Formats: sequence, structure tokens, C-alpha cells
Amino acid sequence: MSQVASLTSRLVDLIAADRVLTDSASLAAFEIDGRRPSAALLPDSVSEIADILRFASAERLAVIPTGGRTNLGIGMPPRQYDLALDLSLMNRILAYEPQDLTVGVEPGVRYAALDRSLHEKGQFLPLVPAHAERATLGGMVAAGVDTPLRYGHGTARDYLLGIEFVTGEGVVSKSGGRVVKNVTGYDLHKLLIGSLGTLGVITRLNFRTFPLPPQQRMFVTSFADPAAAFVFCRAIMRSPLHPRLVEVIDPRTSSLFAASGADFLDRDSWFVIVEAAGQEAVLERHGRDLATMAREANAADIAALDEPRRAALFSCFCELSSIVLHTAPVATIFRIGGLPSEMPALLAQARQLAERHALDCAILIRALSVVYIALLPSAGSYALADLIACSSELMSLCVGSGSSPMIEHCPLELKHALSIWPPAGSEHDISARLKLVFDPQGVLSPGRFRGGI
Amino acid sequence: MLAVAERDPCKEMLAIGGKSEPALTPLQPLSIVAEGFNSAHRAMDRIIIRELQRLLGNPGVLSTAEDLLLYEYDGSVEEARPDAIAFPRHKQDVVDIVNLANRHEVPIVGRGAGTGLSGGALARRGGIVLAFSRMNHVLEMDAKNQRAVVEPGVVNLDLSRAAEKHGLYYAPDPSSQKSCTIGGNVAENAGGPHTLAYGVTSNHVTGLELVMPDGKVVRVGGRHMETPGYDLTGLVIGSEGTFALVTEITVRLLRLPEDVRTLLAIYDSLEDCTDSVVDITARGITPAACEMLDGCTLRAVEDYVHAGFPLDSAAVLLIEVEGVREAAEAQALEITEVCKLHNAREVRRARDSRERALLWKGRKEAFGAIGRVSPSYYVLDGVIPRTKLTVTLQRIEEVSRHHGLVIGNIFHAGDGNLHPLILFDQRDPNQFARARAAGEDIMRFCVEMGGTLTGEHGVGMEKNELMPLMFSEADLDLMRKIRAAFNPLGRLNPDKVLPLGKGCGETRLQPFPLSASGNA
Repeated sequence: MSQVASLTSRLVDLIAADRVLTDSASLAAFEIDGRRPSAALLPDSVSEIADILRFASAERLAVIPTGGRTNLGIGMPPRQYDLALDLSLMNRILAYEPQDLTVGVEPGVRYAALDRSLHEKGQFLPLVPAHAERATLGGMVAAGVDTPLRYGHGTARDYLLGIEFVTGEGVVSKSGGRVVKNVTGYDLHKLLIGSLGTLGVITRLNFRTFPLPPQQRMFVTSFADPAAAFVFCRAIMRSPLHPRLVEVIDPRTSSLFAASGADFLDRDSWFVIVEAAGQEAVLERHGRDLATMAREANAADIAALDEPRRAALFSCFCELSSIVLHTAPVATIFRIGGLPSEMPALLAQARQLAERHALDCAILIRALSVVYIALLPSAGSYALADLIACSSELMSLCVGSGSSPMIEHCPLELKHALSIWPPAGSEHDISARLKLVFDPQGVLSPGRFRGGI
Repeated sequence: MLAVAERDPCKEMLAIGGKSEPALTPLQPLSIVAEGFNSAHRAMDRIIIRELQRLLGNPGVLSTAEDLLLYEYDGSVEEARPDAIAFPRHKQDVVDIVNLANRHEVPIVGRGAGTGLSGGALARRGGIVLAFSRMNHVLEMDAKNQRAVVEPGVVNLDLSRAAEKHGLYYAPDPSSQKSCTIGGNVAENAGGPHTLAYGVTSNHVTGLELVMPDGKVVRVGGRHMETPGYDLTGLVIGSEGTFALVTEITVRLLRLPEDVRTLLAIYDSLEDCTDSVVDITARGITPAACEMLDGCTLRAVEDYVHAGFPLDSAAVLLIEVEGVREAAEAQALEITEVCKLHNAREVRRARDSRERALLWKGRKEAFGAIGRVSPSYYVLDGVIPRTKLTVTLQRIEEVSRHHGLVIGNIFHAGDGNLHPLILFDQRDPNQFARARAAGEDIMRFCVEMGGTLTGEHGVGMEKNELMPLMFSEADLDLMRKIRAAFNPLGRLNPDKVLPLGKGCGETRLQPFPLSASGNA
């Protein structure tokens, strides 16, 4: 019996045979950085997941949990990859209490499906991902996805109330709860956000939900240069306004967006896009104040978008990566945590760097907190060596200037040349010890995380 | 309902206590009460005291019996005496003290202002208390990025005052904010009335500098909202001083709101009051704060603060809305309408900042007001789903009758975070035991309702034996291992948060799963 056949025969003791996939066509869908697992398993209960992990731990088989497989490119290539744990059958909404504004879901629930249920009760979850029809809540949280609504609502860390998960050894555990305020026990659920499946397999998530606003309005302001756009952003920060979305895009990004449904964007401008939500009086107030501030910042133009245009542009913000990759399949996308005052210098340096390597640079600044910089070949010329060199320099530049970079998307060749993570800091010892507690045998997504975890 | 005419909860307490005493079976207090906390306590070696004095100078160390007595308490009903108090001035002092404690194998416990409500800052096994009161500097005010870097001993309100001239403030506002410290807030993941809209400490801290139990200095997080890697900042916040000592904190500051409207809704029935809270939430209104005081509490407060709470009312709601003028006004109108719909007798609006401050004084000094009328009080911190407010208040009244103790209610109604105040006399061991038992009954009920033991006060040494109500042995075991990953010898703040050993507590308590249904 071949190794794979023997493995399969043991797996079917743990999980029904029709939920064990071993044919190469199926397994291709689970490929991560060129590696394919020996089998993909589709558990439909927490106890099956626990059984599988106990088995994997005993046999030292590396397991990578997957959801909608929209973010499998994040992370370094796995050191080992034996089993894909596809959680898409775990797709039930377990408890939705609209009056309490809380919802508990299994990890395989798709964002769009949850959003439809919440909408029926006039509510929503502000963690809006790319590929909303495919992306699962478990995958989104594990990948640490961002959201265009970050300015007003923060990220998963601000509204994830509790998590149930299975450790690498197959122990079912939990943290947090299902009420909006809770300090009972250690906040392990915060640790699991963005942990890329290296600490545990998430089996349940409890979120706080939010009431849908009565209406929202998106204001688009254009500027001839980034300096003016930043003057406007600083004015927004200093104002009493409470927008829920503030995004800044450079001319390259606007032309990418213009080609992807937001054709009303002028391709030579910097844009600051602001969305407010609330009653009409509140929206009018935002409109008035933003117009005044925009004038003072020498804006070329300010306009409120109608609903179809608003929706089109909002979708561009969600789908930034796919829009970039559609135009330039070989591109690097950085996600850089930064402070508003550091951003102008960072952007200027990044653009110079890209120019030196004959690359294009597309920029999106989210919530004045995170800078996305896409490096892509200009005019379709394929320049992998330049892309790698430029990415490496940008990583060093960010680390040197004290911002917090990581590479969210890049060609596999780049991962062979440099790490997508910044070098580990003084906290690495603690992270490594925590990894050992959650996953003593090192079977969960080995090697994909920062510091080689 | 208690008789309105009799306004002294202390008298009420004694009256009820006297009446129902014969019916009570003597209750065994939780094991943590019965056993001396300081069984391991010993007179600390003079050598250690001398070494501390050499490090910090004479005024930097307290070790006489009278001085230690003052550090035996925090804001809870717990007590435990340390062997020495050390007052570091900077990070290196902290490192030196930790190294010294390690050499001599004695416990270390961090302490801010000692306002904690679960015994988190008490030296349960004796040892050195590291009091951060001299590390009280705002190191940097970065107004343009809305960040501040502070030492752990900075008082919460002082930080907001320092930020005020830039039009900024620090959002988490525990009632003790005039004295509690940011370091203590980080340890407990402190909340406050305005966390309803703005979140708790962990939503406002972006980075920490830690001195680990082995004396190493580690930085986690940073000034940015995100750093690649595990969210160690999020994990350390709320770890109640059992993971590391925090020597520097980076916080996010918020813009002061343009407009604030403060409303006082007055009710003749407790149920109408709780119904209003549920309805406000259901309509998608998120006030900045939504606080409830029941009749017993508001009368004690009114006697002390004269905030204008009507003495004959059954309950009041103190609601605040803020934001841009247009939003605050619209919300204030809508909330007034909802409260009236649920039979509010009157909805008042604070006319100016003086009236607003007075109403908030009534709320924030409520515990102090109760302290005037009852020899002791035991404050709980359970959380329930908002929709269970009415049934939970009914249950609290039953518990009050069963144990023969007056229980006042004051709480963050908007997020379902209750603060029942059990009035008793600590000098009477029987009353103390009954107060504990009543507290346990209420916490157990909160968990059964799908809620939690503590929303903002922490587990400390008060609720650690109740943890099995919420967590399975596997959950607790994982938490123990995580604590050991930071604090392998258990020298830092020993015997807190998690149950001690595998004692009776864990066999008699059934854990509720995370999915514990709200209709239990």
C-alpha cells in the first residue's frame, strides 16, 4: 500500500470517506505556495476536528485549516503540509440575538451569507472582506483581514467577543464569551486574530453586531498632489466629524479603480474618500464641513456620490488586491501599519524606490492607520528581479523608519528570496513559547508565521 | 421594593438581616475566605529590605508593620499583607527589584492606586509590592498622531487633562478615574461608563513595554494600530499582573466630542427602566453611556452628593449622547421619546456643564455614598445579555431576600454590566459569609444567563475559584500553561485569576460552554 493510501485508510476511521479528498484535481485547490497536501478533509463537527488534530499530532502530520481560500497567499511557504482542513461544512449561524446585538457562527460561514441574515434584522458586521461571497468568518479572522470601515469601527479585535478553538493537540478550548464586556480569563481570542492557523483551529466565533445606519453618503475629494491630500486628512482628524471610512488613493490606484467599475475617478489625481453615516442632518453637516476643509486644503473638487457609484467605489476598496493582481499578476502588495505624520515621507520614499527599479507604485491609505503599497511592473514588462530587489528595499526602509510592514501578496519567487515578515523583535521568545503551548508538536501551519513560527 | 420613607440602607440592612436571620442556614464561605491568605507570609528577611533600600533609597521602601497595613487592602473586600513596598522611579529600578526578588525567591506584585475591586494588587503570598506611584510621567504627548506614551503610575484623569489642551482625551473612564492609574487599568482591562460607545482599555492601548518575571525587557505592539505577529498587547492587557510588569504604555487618544447631552430619566418602576434600555438598543441607538441606579442606591447617593435624583423614584437612567451637534440632538430626542413610551415619569436634561458634572458625580461617587451608610459593601461585576436585565434584577431581589442582605443596584445598563452592591458588616463573620454566598448566587445566575463573571473589575483573588463556572478544566489548563509561558515560576502576582490547584471548587461547579444559551 502506498503511503497516501495507508494515510487515507487511517483517516477514514476519523471522518466519513466521502469527506476525505485525495484526488489531484481536488487537492490542486488547496495548494499553498506550490505545495499540495496529501489529503483534504471536510470535518462537520468540533469533535471530528479534535480527532483529526489528535491524530495529526501523534503522527506529526502538518495541518493547515482553510475557509474560502481567499487569503492562502498570506504567510511564508509551509515547512510541511500534509492535511488541508477545509471548514466549509461548518457553516451554521449558531446563535443570533438581534436584540442583544450579538451573533455566534461556525468558522465556515461566508461573510455574504451572514451579512444577509444580519440585514434582515437591520444589522451588520463591519469586517467587510474581499470576495465576500467566498470569504469565511473563520478564515477572515485567522488571516487578520482589514476592512474599509476601519476608521469608524476598528477591526475584528474591537468586536470579536469570544472564540472556541481546537489546539494542535486536539484539545477543545475557548476564550471570551458572548456578551459585549468581559474580562473573565485571559483574552486568548485576541491572540488567534491574524495568527494564520498557527495556534488553533477556530470552531466558533462570537461577534458584536451593529445597527445599520439610516443612510450613508460618500464624499470624494480630489487633489493635485499628496501634500494637499494630507492637509485635508489632518483637518478631518482635528474636526469633530465621525466618518466611518477615510481612504486615500494615489493616481495609479485611481486609474486601477477607474478600470474596475469606478470609471468616474479622474486618473491623474490623488483622492481622499470619506463616508459618513447617520440621519440626514448629520450627513449634511459632514458635507458642509468637508467642503470647507477641502477648500482650505486646495482641493480641486468635492462631490457626494450617488448610490451606484458609492457601491462601486466601496467594492474597489474591498477588492484592492484582486484589482492590482488582475492588472499585474506579478506584483507585491505591502500592508504597513503607520502613523499619519510618518506617511508623507514613507510614500515619497516608496515612490522614489519604485521609480529607481522601473516599477509602478499604487497606494491606498486606510483609516490613516495602514498604508497599502502595491509594487507592479510598469507597462506590463516583466521584471521579477527588480520586484524582489525593490520589495526587499521597501521592507528595510519600513523597518528602519519604525513602521510595521508585512507583505500580503507577492510571487512565490519573492518568498524564496526574502521573508514577507519583518525580522522578529524582542517579543519573539514569548511568541515562540506561546506557539509551544498551543501546538507542542508544531503541526499547525508550520513555518508560515513571523519569526519562522 | 423597599419602603421609600426609610432612606437609610444601613438601617434597612440591619432590619432585614435581623428579621430573616433565623431562617438562614449557616453558609460555608468560599474556601478563599476561610483560609488565611497569608499562610506563606513570613517576616521578610532584613537582608532583602536592606537591599531594596540600597536600590531605591530609604524613602523608596516601606516595611514597618503600620505601613504594610495600608497596603493590605484594595477596593475589594479582600486582604493580604505584603512584606515590603518598593517604589521604583524608572524601568531599571523595576528590573533591579525583579532580579532581587528572583535571587531571594520572593513573590512580586504590581500595584497602581490600589482601587481595584478584585484583590488584583494584593500580595496574596506576601513578598514585595511594586507600587508604581512614582512612575507617573506622561512621557510624550503626540497630539498630531493622537497618541500618548505614559508611565504606569499616571492617573487616568491626569492623562485626559494633559490631552485636553490638544482637544483630545483618553476614553476609558473607570469611576475611580480621579485616582486609578493607567498601569492598573491595563492590568485589569478597565472599563467605565463610556465604554458602551468607545470600548475598554484594550481598544485604546497600542503598545506596551514589559519587564518580564526573569528581568528581561520586552516591547510588544507599538504606536501603530497593528504590528505583524501575535497580538501580545491584547493578551497582556487584562492579564491582571500575572504575565509581566508594565513599565510603559502607548495609548490612543480620541477627539473631544463637539456636543454632549446628558439626560436623566426617572421611573416609578424598575421594569419600565430596564425595558427602556432594551428598546434604546433595539432601535439602533448607541448612547455614549447608559447607567442605571435603583431606588436604594440613588437615595444613598442623593443624601451624599445632592445630584438631584428624586428620592421617591424606583430607578433612574443616566444617559449620555455625544458627537456632532446634529447627531447628539437627534439621539437625545429619540431617547427621550423611548423613555416616555416606557412610562418614564420625567426625562430631564442637564442644562449646562455644571449640572452634567453633578449628575456624573452622583454616578461616579455612588460606591463612596454607599460606604457612608453601610459599614461594608461587596460590589459585583457580572455581565448579562442586555435582554436579560429584568429577569436578572428579579433574581437579585430574591437573592437579597434569601440571604437577608440589602442589595443596591447600579450598573452600566447599556452593555449589561451589573454592579450589585451587597451591604453588610464585615465585623460580623456570619454577615460576611452571607454576603459572599449572595455574591456567588448572583454571579452564577449571570453565567447561566449566557453572561460572564466579571465585565471590568477582574477575577483577581475574589473570583478565581468561580472560574470553573465558565471554563472547563481543559480551558483552565491552557490558561495555566499560557501564564507559565510568561511567568514560569509563578513568582509574579501568585494565586490570582485561576483556581488554586484542583480543589473542591472545580468538582462542584459545572462549566458552561461558550455557546451557553441565553434561555437557560
